[in-house]
Amino acid sequence: MLNAHHQARARLAFDPAELRYDFGSGHPFQSRRLVALIDLLESSQLWRKDDPQQCLSFQTATVDELGLVHTPEYIAAVQQLSLPEEAHHPLSQEARDQRAELARRYGFDEGDTPPIPGMHEVAARIVGGTLAALSAVMGLPEGGSFTPEDERPLHVFHPAGGLHHAWAERASGFCVYNDAAVAIAHVLRATEAKILYIDFDAHHGDGVQRAFYDEPRVMTISLHETGRYLFPGTGDVLEVGRGSGRGYAVNVPLEAFTEDDSYREVMNALLPPLLLSFAPDVIITQHGCDTHAWDPLTHLALTLRGIQEQMQLAHHLAHVYCDGRWVALGGGGYDQFRVVPRAWSMLWAEMSDQPLPAHLPSQWVARWRPAWEAEREQEAEEQHVMGKEDAASNFPTTFEDRTMDFPAQPRRATISRTNLHTTAMVRHLLLPAPLRKAFPATPQRSPMTGLFDLLSPGGSATPSRTNIVETSKGPLLLRDFCPPSLVERLTADSGLHAFARLPEREHQLLLNIAQNPDCALTLAHTPDGAIVGEVTLTFGDEWWEGVDDIYEVTIEISSQWRNAGIGRQLLAFALELETLEKMILFAMGLSWHWDMENMGITPHHYRELLARLFASQGFVEYTTTEPNINMEPANILLVRIGKQVDPAVASRFLKRIGGSVRMTH
Amino acid sequence: MIVHEVMTTKLALVTPDTTLSHAANLLRQYQFHHLPVVRMPAHSQQWPGFAEEMVDTTQCARTALPLFEGLLTSQDIDLASALAAERADRTAPGGTLPSESWQEKPVRDVMRRDVLTVTPSTSVAAAAQLLVERGLNCLPVVEYDDVEAENLVRETRALLVGLLTRSDLLIALARSLGADEPGVEVHIPFPAGDMTHLAQTLLLAAELHIPVRSSVAAPLAGNVSPTATVRLGTIHPAPLLIRLREAHIPYTVASTPWEGDVHAERTPPGQSAPGL
Repeated sequence: MLNAHHQARARLAFDPAELRYDFGSGHPFQSRRLVALIDLLESSQLWRKDDPQQCLSFQTATVDELGLVHTPEYIAAVQQLSLPEEAHHPLSQEARDQRAELARRYGFDEGDTPPIPGMHEVAARIVGGTLAALSAVMGLPEGGSFTPEDERPLHVFHPAGGLHHAWAERASGFCVYNDAAVAIAHVLRATEAKILYIDFDAHHGDGVQRAFYDEPRVMTISLHETGRYLFPGTGDVLEVGRGSGRGYAVNVPLEAFTEDDSYREVMNALLPPLLLSFAPDVIITQHGCDTHAWDPLTHLALTLRGIQEQMQLAHHLAHVYCDGRWVALGGGGYDQFRVVPRAWSMLWAEMSDQPLPAHLPSQWVARWRPAWEAEREQEAEEQHVMGKEDAASNFPTTFEDRTMDFPAQPRRATISRTNLHTTAMVRHLLLPAPLRKAFPATPQRSPMTGLFDLLSPGGSATPSRTNIVETSKGPLLLRDFCPPSLVERLTADSGLHAFARLPEREHQLLLNIAQNPDCALTLAHTPDGAIVGEVTLTFGDEWWEGVDDIYEVTIEISSQWRNAGIGRQLLAFALELETLEKMILFAMGLSWHWDMENMGITPHHYRELLARLFASQGFVEYTTTEPNINMEPANILLVRIGKQVDPAVASRFLKRIGGSVRMTH
Repeated sequence: MIVHEVMTTKLALVTPDTTLSHAANLLRQYQFHHLPVVRMPAHSQQWPGFAEEMVDTTQCARTALPLFEGLLTSQDIDLASALAAERADRTAPGGTLPSESWQEKPVRDVMRRDVLTVTPSTSVAAAAQLLVERGLNCLPVVEYDDVEAENLVRETRALLVGLLTRSDLLIALARSLGADEPGVEVHIPFPAGDMTHLAQTLLLAAELHIPVRSSVAAPLAGNVSPTATVRLGTIHPAPLLIRLREAHIPYTVASTPWEGDVHAERTPPGQSAPGL
């Protein structure tokens, strides 16, 4: 199909100079893994270094470019520590002390990131590679003019990149300069694009997250092993960004010994809705493959099947949401010969739409198996002290992993359950309710009856009511329980984009919601079929488990149809339910989802607007300890407890929200 | 550790004459639960940004430090508004009381004057105990000084230098556990209070050039043996763990000792259990 075309538009950025980023023998981070990767790519005929259609050349990043993220003092320190020690002759004690002090202050510990001669140049070279990769995909001027859309590479893979632990002012966890952060900062400065960074490394992507923690144009998503017992210790669910960047940092800490199935479940429940809601222009993914069960530095237990699914999902999402613009980086991966070359060959094959051969080339195995044999015992011991057991005693001969080499983890069920709980928490924190309903994470609540049957026990003949209202901006049709067939015939008004950013995606979102029997969708549309308003009514999500008869209400009105009382009428219409008095209804106003730009008002003003709108239907503001509401003073929880709600249920509800009716105004 | 090192110094302040509605707005805007009530020093003409934004006491000259008058909490405001609401019910048609809005009341009417305070040199342990035993959420931090009063007589007054809240203590705890530094935690049990294993671990870390971000040795709850939590500034603890195993020093990574399930399956408790 598109193969030939796509293949021509995927590039691999690699420069032999990058191999000097190597901390020496005995250190877990060595460039031999890249040598083995390139060898595997070439010997299995997936990539040719002399084919300009498959390569992307690049320059070393300048000090100015590094300065987009790193402090001048830090860059100067790296440059100084890059000089070979002999340059400091005579090697006075004082000079040595000074050097040691510099190394200590800027994070160059002997253990993890020892200063190596020439490291400024090689680290800056690697930054240059990621910078060129992202610039090429974004069509940024290399020589003064923007590259036309159809001549740009669509995807670029830069295996030496992904040094995600480096901070602005210190080296950390084998990383000197943060190539992804510099490249992102460069694009931020040169364009108006929004950038999504997804970090699949087993370690939290702390450096990239820190660099853009208050930046709403960059969303960072990191899936990693929980920081309880793994470096760097950060990456909790509640780290969601700061200031105007709140809601744009996503952290998914996974349990130690998480396996493929659980990982896939988590990834699929989060990435698609997050992409839809953020609507990035480009995706950068970091493919640290230290998530593999054989990796000696972490406790995750994926196989190449799970790792391949990361790549497939990233590739798919790039095409669905970003016109294919995708930059993939390497990262961690400390099983240098058995895992890294295979994982990243898979990534290149995925990106360039090439089928993977079943078997590894025998000459490649012959070349690299001895290297593994030589270090096998040490690696096994390191794995053992970290709490992992390696069931495979062989060097792989196929690209894919053999199931028999990965016995089930003893606590599999507990681990999956905990991961699902984490996922629910992340969704609850970062996804507005309509998105959660359009991308359900768990099977629907009521397999036999839809929400309609539950809400209309009298069983009126027609499932859907219609009402016509006159507004100052023209007549509108209101419809409740909209079936997918109706939504398909309608279009989204150009001002309707609160949840998915673009009207056509908002339309797709509404369609997904209409297809979910657990969600009632009420629409306001013009006689011409343009949707100008929506109300959704859904079960409360996982956070409310144990509280019966609780429903979440959300509302959105097209920016062109506001201030005409449509919200009030639509809400009243949607809530004309037989069972209304038996229900607890709530609405959450979260300031980071609000369309402040188009409204031209402050969050506090918006908050009052919401409170008044919902007050018209008997909703009252409640204080609560709910984590979302608590995060920002402008956020608001509005509740309507029906008159016939069982007092026990109502008191369970009050206990859950940990608050009371707000008394101060 | 003393209060000075952990207290909050960027403060939202009110005066006794501030209205409750303004105070309520400040509480909501900054998501605080307490507002110190202060008076401006007599001779100080200007106060950086007072009543507009927060005051950073570390930026104030000593003579410009606010004089501490009392504390206003969100409960005080809730109470005032509840009383006003109750009063409003009684003033409804035929009622006897004149209506009155709580919003216009001055802070002086509801503030607390008899507030426990601490000084910057109070130990954090003592302050923490005070907070817990008295059921408080917050302690104003004051220094005493002679100031010039209205009638030109010098008198000793309390100058507000900060606020110590429960959050400050929690942040201090997290920081002393090394949580703001990238690193990885290893637990070293020391049965019967014998610290030799911990000391050996620290020596080995120094030998391997692995920075120690923090080291906390304390008995855990219940009948679990006391455990030291060592936070190592490394992404690669394996070389140290190998040395620990060679030296027969028990440790745990990747599972909390009191979770126990994995440990129980593989090694009986009390037995030296390197790794899992």
